[in-house]
Amino acid sequence: MARKSDVAAQRARACKALMTQVHAITAKEGINPSTLHAIKLKLEALARRKELFPAADFALPVAQGRNYPLLVEEGDGLGLYLNVALPGKEAAPHDHGIWCATAAVSGREKHEFYRRTDDGRTPGSAAVTKVGEVLVQPGHGMVMADHDIHATTVVGDKPMVALSLYGYALVRFPSVAWYHPQFKSVRTTQSRRHAQNVGA
Amino acid sequence: MAKTYQVTIRNSGRTIACAANQTILQAAIGAGIDYPYACATGNCATCISKLEDGKVSLLPHGDACLTKAQIASGLTLSCRARPRSDVTVNWLARSGS
Repeated sequence: MARKSDVAAQRARACKALMTQVHAITAKEGINPSTLHAIKLKLEALARRKELFPAADFALPVAQGRNYPLLVEEGDGLGLYLNVALPGKEAAPHDHGIWCATAAVSGREKHEFYRRTDDGRTPGSAAVTKVGEVLVQPGHGMVMADHDIHATTVVGDKPMVALSLYGYALVRFPSVAWYHPQFKSVRTTQSRRHAQNVGA
Repeated sequence: MAKTYQVTIRNSGRTIACAANQTILQAAIGAGIDYPYACATGNCATCISKLEDGKVSLLPHGDACLTKAQIASGLTLSCRARPRSDVTVNWLARSGS
């Protein structure tokens, strides 16, 4: 049985190798549907290596929903995370302004994709319509382009453990726009990280 | 049919009905109250509020948005909180749309 430190070292090497591969892809061809698909395949391959992401290393029993940075670059570099979320954990339709790919280590998460249909002229108001859906589970990942809108829900009775790769590190997200079909509204947060200091 | 509780939102000075299967935020927006929110799904903490009285149950949320220590100190997320008694809440932030 591998020691915890050995697993961590192997995980770090594997993550670094992924980042190198992704940089090679984007340096050559930039970000387009073809390269995003290639990135998703690389991420799926890493997620298949379940032995690198043992539950004991990521506080699975207590996490409601949490991002663990694996290798996060400084500035406007890529951000690679292990996400853990309990069944029922959800995110309303949102646009985080930058492409991302997700691949499951275990568990299942429904991703619903939306398109904005109003003219955007009324501040705080928006209309979106659902245009597609993907079930992310081991072997079946998801990729989306800059400014695509998606909603997520962890389904089934097991936690979702997934790798997510973003075009920016989470701390560098310019903003996140949240759409609420039931309220016919849109609200913007400047960064996901701002929440950590609210009411603390 | 779900049981209904009375929710007092101190900032607005109003008391509204909220079904047990409804979040406080849903009931507030439905009642025309300008409650601050952004993600409305427990990911941003814009709707973080003081639970001044009563009991709620919480839907899954991001750990960083509402910690166990914050819950212990009487804070809640209105977008994740469903009433389990009559409650009084007071939002801490102001909406920025």
